[in-house]
Amino acid sequence: MNETREIYRNFPFLMQIAFYVIAFATIGFFVYGFYLRIRKYKKGRDAGRMNNVLGRFMKAAAIMGKNSTVFKRDAYAGAAHWMIFWGFVFLLIGTAIVALDHDFLRLLGYHLLEGDFYLVFSFVLDIFGVLFLIGLLMMMFRRAKKLPKLDYTRNDLKPEQYNRKGYSTDDKIFLWLLFLIGLTGFFIEGLRISADNMPAFEMWSPVGWVIASSINSVGLAESANSLHVYSWWFHAVMVMFFIAYIPYSKAMHMLVDYANLMFKDDMAAKKLPKVAEEMLDAGMGYKKVEDFTWKELLDFDSCTKCGRCHDVCPARNAGTALSPRDLILDLRTYVDSSIGSPEWFKQEFVNGKNDSKEIAGGVISKDVLWSCTTCMACVEVCPVGIEHLTSIVNLRRSLVDEGNMEDMLQDTLMNIGDYGNSFGQSERNRAAWTKELDFKIKDVRKEEAEYLWFVGDYASYDQRIQGLSRHVAKILNKIGVDYGIMYEGEKNSGNDVRRVGEEGLYEMLVEDNLAVMQKSKFKKIFSTDPHSYNTIKNEYPEFGGDFEIEHYTGLLLRLVKEGKIKFTKKLNYKVTYHDPCYLGRYNGEVDAPRELLTMMGIELIDMPRCKENSFCCGAGGGRIWMDDSKVQERPSEIRIREALTLGEEVTHFVVACPKDYAMFTDAVKTSGNEGKMEVKDIIQLVEEAMGE
Amino acid sequence: MNIIVAIKQVPDLVEGLEIDSSGKDLDREWLKFKLNEFDDHALEEALVLKEETGATVTAIALNADGIDKILFTAAAKGADRIISVTGDFGDVVSSHEAASALASVISQLDHDIVMTGVQAVDDRDGQLAVLLAHHLKMPHVSVVTGVKVNGSSATITKEYGGGMVAEFEAELPVVLGIQAASQTPRYVPVAKVRQIMRSASIEEIAAGGDSAGAGSSVSRFFKPESGGGAQMIEGSAADQAGKIVELLKEKGIK
Repeated sequence: MNETREIYRNFPFLMQIAFYVIAFATIGFFVYGFYLRIRKYKKGRDAGRMNNVLGRFMKAAAIMGKNSTVFKRDAYAGAAHWMIFWGFVFLLIGTAIVALDHDFLRLLGYHLLEGDFYLVFSFVLDIFGVLFLIGLLMMMFRRAKKLPKLDYTRNDLKPEQYNRKGYSTDDKIFLWLLFLIGLTGFFIEGLRISADNMPAFEMWSPVGWVIASSINSVGLAESANSLHVYSWWFHAVMVMFFIAYIPYSKAMHMLVDYANLMFKDDMAAKKLPKVAEEMLDAGMGYKKVEDFTWKELLDFDSCTKCGRCHDVCPARNAGTALSPRDLILDLRTYVDSSIGSPEWFKQEFVNGKNDSKEIAGGVISKDVLWSCTTCMACVEVCPVGIEHLTSIVNLRRSLVDEGNMEDMLQDTLMNIGDYGNSFGQSERNRAAWTKELDFKIKDVRKEEAEYLWFVGDYASYDQRIQGLSRHVAKILNKIGVDYGIMYEGEKNSGNDVRRVGEEGLYEMLVEDNLAVMQKSKFKKIFSTDPHSYNTIKNEYPEFGGDFEIEHYTGLLLRLVKEGKIKFTKKLNYKVTYHDPCYLGRYNGEVDAPRELLTMMGIELIDMPRCKENSFCCGAGGGRIWMDDSKVQERPSEIRIREALTLGEEVTHFVVACPKDYAMFTDAVKTSGNEGKMEVKDIIQLVEEAMGE
Repeated sequence: MNIIVAIKQVPDLVEGLEIDSSGKDLDREWLKFKLNEFDDHALEEALVLKEETGATVTAIALNADGIDKILFTAAAKGADRIISVTGDFGDVVSSHEAASALASVISQLDHDIVMTGVQAVDDRDGQLAVLLAHHLKMPHVSVVTGVKVNGSSATITKEYGGGMVAEFEAELPVVLGIQAASQTPRYVPVAKVRQIMRSASIEEIAAGGDSAGAGSSVSRFFKPESGGGAQMIEGSAADQAGKIVELLKEKGIK
């Protein structure tokens, strides 16, 4: 007996023709929707992402193959998605082989699907079909649990002002359609095996075999032949609908998200783009749809509403108007209503939010834009490579361009412009904190030193932090590290000025700092400020500042390993460590501070959200220069409460960022937890362990 | 409609002020200058009127080191013309000299409203607007906190002491000393200032008129001297509180 199966089993010729007519119409539908998408992306500006296309393709393929970004911190969703993904891929390949075999090779006199190949083919497809259904069931179960991150309720609008039923309809159609397609597929197989009188080799289709046996046992064997035709058509119509539905629905994520992962920039958010030359005449921010790059337009379409960014965003957790998910979806809705889109399932606004002429300050409200702390948690967690932050900063730029900002921020920017620091103090006082030292720190503008210490605004001017700066200076001095500072030659590094959207001021600060740095004599830079560290490391090179820079925790660790710093006192503390956004998430530096703490004999107990998944203190992106009275619950207080869940024995909350020290010493008090946990900069512990 | 805004730079109080060896002026070596805050409000009010009526705004200042940046910033904010008045000005220009020099140029320009800050930290005499009105022979209102233009006249809000506010009607042209603009002076992004510096140019017009002296001159410049009568209480917070209580008892306060 020949192991194979008949395609179009018992189909009259006209029925076959009917199928091809429907199939071609479906493909037409698909191609048209696909074309509409491409047409949309072509309206975007050049994104400069067409380099190394093959490398990008392979990299995205690796991510997709492993589903690594979906697995990250959500193993359940990852496993379910993996099964659906690979189930779908194998069933798609299987169907493609059938089409190739029947519609092409057969005409040339070949037949692929017979014998051993057919048996293996049947077996593999059955297995992946089962995985496919299990994955879908898991997802259905997950949806039924009503997870907060899958809730489409908005923070910023009242329920009567918007309608997102389209989104949930789309979710249901997508899930149920795939599930029914998978299920009916198995039924067709079972009916065919039953109608063929159970040929033994069909045991290689184990699921089909079991279903066939069940059909026989309930006495339906007689009708299997006719039921097979009906269920075949039922299955086929759903498949056709699905194919046509892809470019008009969330199913498009299968294609768009591959592209988005492929064109994602690993430096996204860490290194912000300059204002594009072609836009300069109209000011510096995004003002119209055509200002977005095609990658950004792709970002908006890539969102699958998985809610991970919504879940991690400190601004959202603090109860502000911002949800990164809603920001991206609102931009999608706006772009679609402006340049047309094939989307069937949209959100609707009752209050005309989308009719606003302005994007920044209208379609996306000022409150939303100014709430962002630029902590980058959204970009880091997004499984499909959306770069929320770039859009936020580009929209902030247009607010700044119009002077559309609160007074406190405006004053701060003017201070930075006038005096080079956010405190509005004289430039000449930048190094005033060194006066209390009984030695003089080298001035790298005049004397050569191995290290340039980029101190930063907070560590220079904030009275709470100046003491910490002196601790650093004393320790380095004691062990003979050759370092210097730029004194009043140093200005605000610009990291947060850039993230506020004041690009012109940022460039001025970079030029001023670089002018001094390039004339100074040093080999390497270290910074106590993760914000300065980020921009000098990732952004200054584009302006001609190519320096080697490290964070002071890295420097301290090396000094310990080289034996220059000796820990003579074992510290029997249990502490937790807060990863600064700009150190851990932005730059992946999570080990050095932990290793340092461990070497002091300290027991480190991490908070649930740590390392790359750290929870922002709420100060970044210029938020520290803005009024936080609209915040329902300060991110810094949320964080302190998180640390307190670790238990009473955790006595210290260790930080490695001046802004963190200021934010968390405040938060311990304002959250009513004074005395329960002490905020310490890592340098204070280093000093203690050195027996000072 | 044409609005002329007279602006000037004043020493930045963020820097520590020192008195020079003559004892009659600040030590100017380390001084940093910035736009007089009240002039910033005058400029803002002019720009608000420009937005409402389409007026042409001209910012005018006496030439001085660093005035270019201030004029360019005014242009970046929206001033249509920027004029630097050239002449032989000393480090300290009295309101009389300034008014005379400015009026000699303003009188050559079309003007419906002339505005300036009601006062400046470096002269504290609040006379510039008054003197400009005198030279230009125009009506004048000072300590202005709002201006509305209706055709050929303006409704002007003036602030009095004790929380009283008055509304004036004035036929244009008029000279106004601005206390506060109707909104916070706007922020101008650095990129815009830099772009204006490349594209715009400052008109230079020589000052005419007689250089009327100030009529008064500085005889001594000094930091406030303590007049005695104050007693500093030293010690910890608890000690200080204790001493305060003792003192109060001593003075018969129970």
